[in-house]
Amino acid sequence: MRWLMINHVQNASQSLRSNRTRSYLTILGVAIGIASIVAVLSLSAGANKIVSQQIDELGGNIAVVRPGEPRDGPLSGLSPSKINREFAPSSLTEYDLKTIRAIPGAKEVAPIIIVGGAIKGDSLAPNSSTVIASTPDLISINGLELKDGQFFDDTINKDKVVIGLQLSVDIFGTDQSIGKTFKFNKRTLTVVGILKKVNNPINYNNVDFDNTAIISLDTSKLIAGNTPQIQQINIRSDTVANLDDVIVQVNKKLLANHLQQKDFSVLVGDQISQPTSQLFFIITNITTAVAGISLLVGGIGIMNIMLVNVAERTREIGIRKALGASNADIAWQFIIESLSISIAGGAIGYALGYMAAFGISSLVSFTPVFTLDIAITAFVLSIVMGTLFGIYPAIRASRKDPIDSLRHYE
Amino acid sequence: MQDAKTPPVIELHGIKKCFGTGDAEHYAIDGIDLTIQAGEFIAIMGPSGCGKTTLLNILGLLDRSNDGIYKLDGRDVSSISSWRQAIIRSRQIGFVFQSFNLISRLSIIDNVALPLMYKGYSKTKRLEMASSMLKNFHLSEREYYMPWQLSGGQTQRVAIARALVNSPSIILADEPTGNLDSRSSHVIMEELSDLHQQGNTIIMVTHNPRLTSYASRVITMLDGKVDTDVLTNKSSAKSTKAKKQKNKKTPKPKAATIRRLKKKAVKKTAPVEGES
Repeated sequence: MRWLMINHVQNASQSLRSNRTRSYLTILGVAIGIASIVAVLSLSAGANKIVSQQIDELGGNIAVVRPGEPRDGPLSGLSPSKINREFAPSSLTEYDLKTIRAIPGAKEVAPIIIVGGAIKGDSLAPNSSTVIASTPDLISINGLELKDGQFFDDTINKDKVVIGLQLSVDIFGTDQSIGKTFKFNKRTLTVVGILKKVNNPINYNNVDFDNTAIISLDTSKLIAGNTPQIQQINIRSDTVANLDDVIVQVNKKLLANHLQQKDFSVLVGDQISQPTSQLFFIITNITTAVAGISLLVGGIGIMNIMLVNVAERTREIGIRKALGASNADIAWQFIIESLSISIAGGAIGYALGYMAAFGISSLVSFTPVFTLDIAITAFVLSIVMGTLFGIYPAIRASRKDPIDSLRHYE
Repeated sequence: MQDAKTPPVIELHGIKKCFGTGDAEHYAIDGIDLTIQAGEFIAIMGPSGCGKTTLLNILGLLDRSNDGIYKLDGRDVSSISSWRQAIIRSRQIGFVFQSFNLISRLSIIDNVALPLMYKGYSKTKRLEMASSMLKNFHLSEREYYMPWQLSGGQTQRVAIARALVNSPSIILADEPTGNLDSRSSHVIMEELSDLHQQGNTIIMVTHNPRLTSYASRVITMLDGKVDTDVLTNKSSAKSTKAKKQKNKKTPKPKAATIRRLKKKAVKKTAPVEGES
């Protein structure tokens, strides 16, 4: 039996070689499917890695509270977090913020509140720019640095704003904009500080700080009313060891605030680093769908070519059966043939996928990563494809009647 | 044959094979009773469409009869699973087809080695055995030719080599000389005759009445039935020989004997060789 398997492999390679062009084209079809999957996986792993690196750099004592039920499971990373509540008020309140601030281990607490409206300076700000409201803790909790000026504090606060470098250039045409004013929702804000360039559009805050204006909580209330939309609350504990304690406290107290309803989630470590950017979600979802479709097309290509193979070699099947091949022998022969197509396609696709991923990475700010998971996924996918799409032609071949097959012209 | 002690290799009782349904129903074989002993050389004659090939296919376990009992080595084949049947085909039966039926994308040696694959030999062993078998048929220099590069006579010898490589005890030949000129036919028939002398059972379908001179028993078929069943005078001479060999229990050809016999045969037919 051992020899028989080796024979089947030799057989398959022989028959694939006898139809080179056809085999290569089918292999290419599979390779494209696997390549797109590998590219998507490696890039999204790369993006995740960036975020988790950011968190590591910040010292490992960060927790994030987000509105909405906690999401678990392997697919949680694939569904965007905000979509469902885009038009619903955040479940986190200012009172929650105060509660968290009162917890002893929580050294720094910074909310991120999205304030809607258009920025109008010397020129109109681009659509990608956002205005968020926060507290001075934001600076240290996110490792931001000021290029010029200062962050607002308890005294310098009302109608003051700190803006990102890119935003400054966009609306004032210069990065020296201290003291300049711009209109935001009919209120005039004065720039008191400019952030250093971060160049980090993907981060766990969902905020591109280069394109953001930061105002204080009090200012935001003047603009948007008394119920701030808290997108998330970042907490830094005083020590790494204390983080767990703080999280327990936050969970307990917020649950009490929310009348025991768990409509918020407290995230740490890898949970935070799950891709959060909306844009990233859309890209990932679309490319995954495209990759899936090309994988399917590749699989259909295998089945197509195997059916042609079976039809073409009907007579050979008859001869083999007359010479003592059992149905299982014939089925194995064709299964192994389709498996060799798909595994070859998988190997080439893996290489192509990384090439494509590195090509794409020159356009975006993250690089693909090599993980064993991706290699295994590519391998398993190609085996599944080979078996799934090869089994029907193989069964068809094995069921052929030897007499009819022998009568078949070649 | 007359030897009642040894059980017959093949026993057919009322075998029927029907093609088509309803109005188009047609019995290609319409009740055949036949007993074949080990070591017989049977020529089956008859006009086209009398069911010769169908009978051969049923004997070779490639086809199943609709009715009747077929006992191979005393076992009813209808009780044998298709998987076991494949094993029997692989170990016991050698097929020689009229149209040669070599696999065109495989070289000569790979074609000859093919039956050994299903017996589970390693590739080296397979090629070794195929090579020595081809040597017996004086095709050593042609080992890595492709089937279409050979003449008809050579191709048929390759086909016979393939049928013999797994040392079967029963050789079924369906008009082995049907596509060949008379000289090549003669060579092929000499090969088969040698195999017969080594104690193999040979069942050959033919159109050519002259070839029956090689056979020990000639069966003519008509409309799916056995018309005549004659032992030739050759059979009496051969049968004693065959019996002797049976007693020695060497029903399968030995490579050395084949080689010796082949040498003789080829000396006789050297011009044919050169021509092809």
